[in-house]
Amino acid sequence: MSEIAFFGAVEIGLVYALVALGVYLSFRVLDFPDLTVDGSFPLGAAVCATLLVAGVNPWLASLAAALAGAVAGLVTATLNVRFKILHLLASILTMIALFSVNLRVMGRPNVALLMQDTVLTPFYGLGLPDHMVRPLVVAVVVVAVVLLLARFLGSEFGLAMRATGVNARMARAQGVETDFHIYTGMALSNGLCALAGALFAQTNGFADVTTGIGTIVVGLAAVIVGETVLPARTMLWALVGCVVGSILYRLAVQLALSADVIGLQASDLNLVTAVLVAVALILPRVRLKAGRKTEAAR
Amino acid sequence: MITVNGIHVTFGRGTPLEKHALRGVDLTIPEGQFVTVIGSNGAGKSTFLGALAGDVIAESGSIAIDGTDVTRWATPKRASLVARVFQDPMVGSCTALTIEENMALAAARGRKRGLGFALSGDRRRHFRDRIAELGLGLENRLHDRMGLLSGGQRQAVSLLMATLAGSKILLLDEHTAALDPGTAEFVLGLTRRIVQENRLTTLMVTHSMRQALDYGDRTVMLHEGRIVLDVSGEQRAGLDVPHLLALFARQRGGEEIADDSLLIG
Ligand SMILES: Nc1ncnc2c1ncn2[C@@H]1O[C@H](COP(=O)(O)OP(=O)(O)OP(=O)(O)O)[C@@H](O)[C@H]1O
Ligand SMILES: [Mg+2]
Repeated sequence: MSEIAFFGAVEIGLVYALVALGVYLSFRVLDFPDLTVDGSFPLGAAVCATLLVAGVNPWLASLAAALAGAVAGLVTATLNVRFKILHLLASILTMIALFSVNLRVMGRPNVALLMQDTVLTPFYGLGLPDHMVRPLVVAVVVVAVVLLLARFLGSEFGLAMRATGVNARMARAQGVETDFHIYTGMALSNGLCALAGALFAQTNGFADVTTGIGTIVVGLAAVIVGETVLPARTMLWALVGCVVGSILYRLAVQLALSADVIGLQASDLNLVTAVLVAVALILPRVRLKAGRKTEAAR
Repeated sequence: MITVNGIHVTFGRGTPLEKHALRGVDLTIPEGQFVTVIGSNGAGKSTFLGALAGDVIAESGSIAIDGTDVTRWATPKRASLVARVFQDPMVGSCTALTIEENMALAAARGRKRGLGFALSGDRRRHFRDRIAELGLGLENRLHDRMGLLSGGQRQAVSLLMATLAGSKILLLDEHTAALDPGTAEFVLGLTRRIVQENRLTTLMVTHSMRQALDYGDRTVMLHEGRIVLDVSGEQRAGLDVPHLLALFARQRGGEEIADDSLLIG
């Protein structure tokens, strides 16, 4: 793997670390399987790119992207909490709707960011090569998000949100307004995914409606890899695990793609990811079964 | 003080499975009274406690706790007045969270939860002191996940959690049913102590006639969604288990009690 390929993998891993953190919030903290992500990631990219083309400040554009994602999360949460639609289906409905919304936002299937200033612009030409500047800037954002999120989940409000996901009945008996926590958590989760989309658009120089496909699976893969390599005891470490998982996953993919012997192409990425996640989900069961068999044999 | 006036609860109204679970329950419980609740399976005991806690909303009648009408309040809103321990130790706690996190959750019951740290040094020390009172050696295991505790330990902690934040009433729904006799005895002793120390108005559901008479100041029996027996004071003091069964039978118009579940204890 070349140096540029290495930094490229770290960069994209860091961008998707935000997706992993969002997915961790929905899947793990709230126990809410949410596929909205496949729509909120490109939504973030679309909103950000469109605003950049219109000459808006890059940080403001990124913030607006995150807010748009939060609204998408609220839509899914409302369909589920208020109208009792199964969470998986509710999120698929939002995701499908977002495909049209994203096309509307951009007015065409993709937008190129060629001359526009991005959040990265001020840091280019400070001495470091561009391929290192990008991951560095994204890393700063990711570290800030991890710290804020850990602080949030350690607060009384955050603890109530975790309880909502673990045991809603108990949480309600303790006075936790569980519905409100689901709304908040889903908004936060999809806000992060949209922020990832915004950074993706700025680091890659384009927004495209199709970039969302498989986002959820990539996010899940990062969460699972993180949990495997960094079994965490505290909230902060669990979040760090998501980031580490996302980077490791991208490096592994890069390695697989650059090894000519295997003959993989970039377009095989989704297949590889799906297989990886499936294996990761199946393995614990197989181990459990094997454990039971050896116990039975005793 | 709890005032319940003619509450009705029907599950699955308008479906073939319609069940009129509470059919006009009236009950006034003065401040600090400890009431034991008995009745056969399906009598409506859990539904009654659920109606007090807000899990089920009564379709008619009214419920007041300490003079405040809470008939239309949902569970989280009532939590400032109501503390509970559930039958299933899994239901009453968050198994995936640590003991101290569970305690922090309970300590904020009925209060607005902000962005301040859920666990500070002060709070940890407070929780350690409180859990040490149980005498189970759990004070060194505050960082353990709740799921690692045995059923009995978890019920003991759940009871303690019920007292971390102030409340007007304590609801116990067969909270010792999942425990072995020795552990059940321990948790019941603890219940008695906690109720006395905190002067809590308490309702305790049990299937044991023995426990129903041994604990508390008053015993009510539910049958088919109604209160069919209500004894306290001298009358109750003179009762033993066979008497109680006979009373119940008379109340039901001499009908035989076929339900084995009622005879345990
Ligand atoms: N959520 C529900 N939906 C439909 N029916 C219910 C529901 N909860 C309780 N019931 C029915 O209402 C009746 C009263 O149930 P409840 O759980 O209050 O009885 P119980 O006295 O607590 O019995 P047990 O001693 O078995 O715990 C039963 O016939 C039960 O099947
Ligand atoms: Mg019951």
